[in-house]
This record gives sequence, C-alpha cells and structure tokens, in this order.
Amino acid sequence: MLTIADFMSANHHVCDDAFANAEQAALAGNWEEAEILFNFFRTDMTRHFRMEEEELFPTLIAAHGPAGPVQVMRMEHAQMNTLLEQMAGSVAHRDAKEYGGLSETLLIVMQQHNLKEEQMLYPMADHYLSPQRETLLGRMRMV
Amino acid sequence: MNTVALNTDQAPPISVPLRFFTAAPLFLILAALILVSAADNPFAAARTPVLLAATHCITLGFMAVIMMGAMQQILPVVIGSPMPASGITVWLTFLPLLSGALLLPAGFVLGQPVLLNLAWPLLLLAFLVFIVASLASLARAPARNATRTAILLSIFALGGALGSGVLLAHSYATGAALADAGQLLTTHVTLMLGGWMMLLIVGVSYQVVPMFQLTPTYPKWLTATLAPAIFGVSLLSMLPLLFQFDAHRLTVATQTLFWILAGSFALVTLGLQRRRRRKVADATLSFFGLGMMALLCAALLAIATPWLPTIEHLETLTVMIFLLGFAMSVMHGMLYKIVPFLVWFHLFRGGMNVGVPNMKEIMPEPRMWRHLWLHRGTLAVALFAPWWHAAAWLLALGLLVQGVLLGYALLGAIAVYRHTLAAIREN
Repeated sequence: MLTIADFMSANHHVCDDAFANAEQAALAGNWEEAEILFNFFRTDMTRHFRMEEEELFPTLIAAHGPAGPVQVMRMEHAQMNTLLEQMAGSVAHRDAKEYGGLSETLLIVMQQHNLKEEQMLYPMADHYLSPQRETLLGRMRMV
Repeated sequence: MNTVALNTDQAPPISVPLRFFTAAPLFLILAALILVSAADNPFAAARTPVLLAATHCITLGFMAVIMMGAMQQILPVVIGSPMPASGITVWLTFLPLLSGALLLPAGFVLGQPVLLNLAWPLLLLAFLVFIVASLASLARAPARNATRTAILLSIFALGGALGSGVLLAHSYATGAALADAGQLLTTHVTLMLGGWMMLLIVGVSYQVVPMFQLTPTYPKWLTATLAPAIFGVSLLSMLPLLFQFDAHRLTVATQTLFWILAGSFALVTLGLQRRRRRKVADATLSFFGLGMMALLCAALLAIATPWLPTIEHLETLTVMIFLLGFAMSVMHGMLYKIVPFLVWFHLFRGGMNVGVPNMKEIMPEPRMWRHLWLHRGTLAVALFAPWWHAAAWLLALGLLVQGVLLGYALLGAIAVYRHTLAAIREN
C-alpha cells in the first residue's frame, strides 16, 4: 500500500534529479540546456509545493494535525521560492558563479527541509490521514 | 504518535555552534607547536608526553569541540529533538571542555600533575553534562531511526571512554600504578575513537551523505546492523579488562572485527558517492571522500599489522591515519558545508531576502580547495612521520597552516554575517 510518505518522498527524488541536471548544465556553461533544465526543475518544485500547500497541509490541519510544523514547512517553501527566483535571474544573466552559490544554498535548504518532512511530517500525515489517504493521494496526483 | 516533541524549527542561536567551531582551529595550531617542541621525533616512541599532549589537543581541543558544537545543531534536524536547556548546556560544556583541553596537554608537556588534576574534573563535568543533555534529547526524539541508534550508542561509548580517561589521567597525575593500565588504555582508545567518534560519524553520515551529496541512501542491511555491531565489538574488547584475564587472541580478534566493520562502512560510502546524482565538483565532498579512503587504508593497515611484527610503528601510523585522515577530513568537510549554511540561514531567517550573500560568497570555494590540497599534503607526510623526523616537522607545519586557514575561513564567515546584519539593520 502506497503511503503519503512513500509518494511524497519519491517526488522529492524527482526534484533532486531535476536540480542536479540543471546545476550540471549551468556550471558547465551550457546555458540553452541549463535554461530548459532549470525550468523543468522549477516546475517540479512548484508542483511539489502546490501538492503540499493546496492539498496535504490543509487536509492535515483539518484533521487536527499539528499546525506548528506545517507553518515551518510553509516558511521554508517561501525561502526556497526566493532562492529559485534568484537562480532564475542568474540563468537569465548567464552567471555560473552566482548560480553555483545559489544552487549550493538551495540544495542544503531543500535537503534539510525534505529530511524533516520525510522523517516527521509525512509519517505524521499518514497517521492522521489514514482513512482518507487514497483520496488525498488522488487529489495530489491531479495537481 | 509523539507530536508534543515534534517541532521542526528548533535551531539554536548561531552563536552556539560557531563558538565551538571557531575555538577548534586554535588547537590545531597548539598541537603543531607542541609537536615541534619535542627534542626528538615525537612519533618515534608511543605515549611520550609530547605525543600525548598533541594527540589530546587534536582529539579533545579540535575534534570533541567540533563534535559537541555540531551535535547541538544537528540533533534538531536529524532526529527532531534539540538539547534541553541549551543556554546552560552550552556554557557547562564549552568552558570546561575548552579549559580541560588546554590544561590536559599542558599537564603532559610540562609534567605538572596539578594541571592534570585540574583538567580531568573539568573534562568530566563537560562530558557528563553533554552526555546527560544528549540522552535527554535522544529520549524525546520523535524519529526512531538508525541515526538515533548510532548516536545513542556513541554516547554510551563516550561514557565508557570518559570513565577510563579519568582513571588514566588521575593515575598519570598521582603516579599511582593501575593494575591494568595497558588494558585501560586500550579500552579508552577503543571507546573514544572506535566507539564515540566512529559511531557518531556513522550515524550522521546515514543522513548527510545522501542529503548533501545526492547519493542513494545507505542499504538497510548496513544501517540496521553496523552501529550495534561496532558497539558490540567495542564491548567485547573490554572483556579482558572487566574479567581480569590476558587474552591476546581476543584482542586481535575484536580489533580485526572492528576494522572489517569500519572498512565496510568506508567501502559502502565510497560506492554511494560514486553513484551520486550531483556530479559537480564539491570540495566538501572531496574532503569526505578522502576521509573514507583514509578509513579504508587504516583498516587494511590495522588488519595487516599482526602479520607484520618486524615493522615498527604500524599501530601509531594506523591511529594517525584514522584521526588525521578519516576523522579530521570528515570534520573539515562538514564544517565547510555547515558554517556557510548557518550564516545564510540565520541572516535569511531575520526576514531579509535581499542582499543576503549565498553560501559560496560567505565561504569562497577556492579557499576550501586550497585547504583540501594542504590537508592531502599533510597526510602524505604523516605516512613517513614515525620514521623520519623531517616529515614530523612538515606534519606539524601542515597542521599549523590548516589551523590558520580554517580559522581564517570561519572568522571570514562571521565577518560576513556581522556586516550583512549591520547593513540589513541600517536599511
């Protein structure tokens, strides 16, 4: 049986792969490819955030799940969105040095965020939302 | 489900880890100065006062200080539980540890029992507070994973290492002969390096290697068994001490088993790094990879040593490769990853997202690469140090310059933090 933790953790890995591909192209100076791969990455990230912010988090809060950690996750999404915006600027300016510094920063923010979600928030969501897991997963797939 | 303990934003103030990290490089410089103060090659004979002093500068002053600082930062993230009473915990660990780490080497070098008798109670206090705070944090952790198990076992090992260390220091200071001084020393080294240091690095690696380097996760068979096996072997190695019997074969067997486990961990980690999805060059990754290569070399050397009885100093060399090659490389790599992130994180968390420098502006990567090359050079000369006095000198010089480079990088990051914070407040 697919859990919320399995499904969302797998989606983290999709984002990680897209991140690594975009970074490699940007640091190699292949800007046309980097632009395409960065846009793929940004789209993956935006979709992941929407799955959480539009579906998972409200459902968890409605089921009386803990609000504090959800608030922290939202705040970290905002941090990552700011970095993604700055990275888009460095892609537009073809600035590999700036891209490298920003992507290094984003990687750490992203990974420690993922760790907290995978080890704490998602298992908690599976616990609180077990009766409605299938429908929730269906809705998240539609995002 | 333990929701009370779950709080995902529990990072301590930036001054907490940075206080520990910035103190650490001073002890590399101190270790170097102590090594060059020796009249003869300090590595040519085991347990000379100079070698004991320099070793404790590195293990206590550099490594324990870094590990204690890092634990306060890492526990909330990797197991979801901070250390309790962080303000009190910090002062009751930082000051006594720092003072003890200065007094103990001074006592060895100057041959002053009074300094040793001042040092061990301070170190006892620092480590006891750290052990209690860590256990409280681990008990409340919502995460029940292999990292938590490894860290828990590392803390138990630290307790044993501390007890044996206190007995040894007291006996060294008073001149009181211990019936089992040799066994006690073996226990102290085994639990401190093979227990605490190794298990802590193993536990943290389970999280940070896949996380920072985008590698596959460690295989389940390894995370489920490695830390308990290493801890079990460490306990087995204490049997001769506990039951007062001389068991050379048991010692050789447990040590061999330990090195097979340690070598397996190094091999698996190197394998994961080879399969990493992030292929770009990264100095911190190279530090980590160097550490694992060194651990593998130390393991092979240690396993071969009983078969090479005619070659002197192999045990000294194994410990040097483990400490300088494995543990120090991993710690350099971790510091160069964690410190720029912490500076960025605390600036950004202040609510400002414009004008906050990125991680590579906080700690420029070319400096990390220079340090990596210097560290590689230091390790290369370390391989000859027990036999060649000039190499021992070069090793000391390498440690000295590494202390300066690391200290400069850390102070540079703090300067960036302060300037940026001041600029943000002005606007």
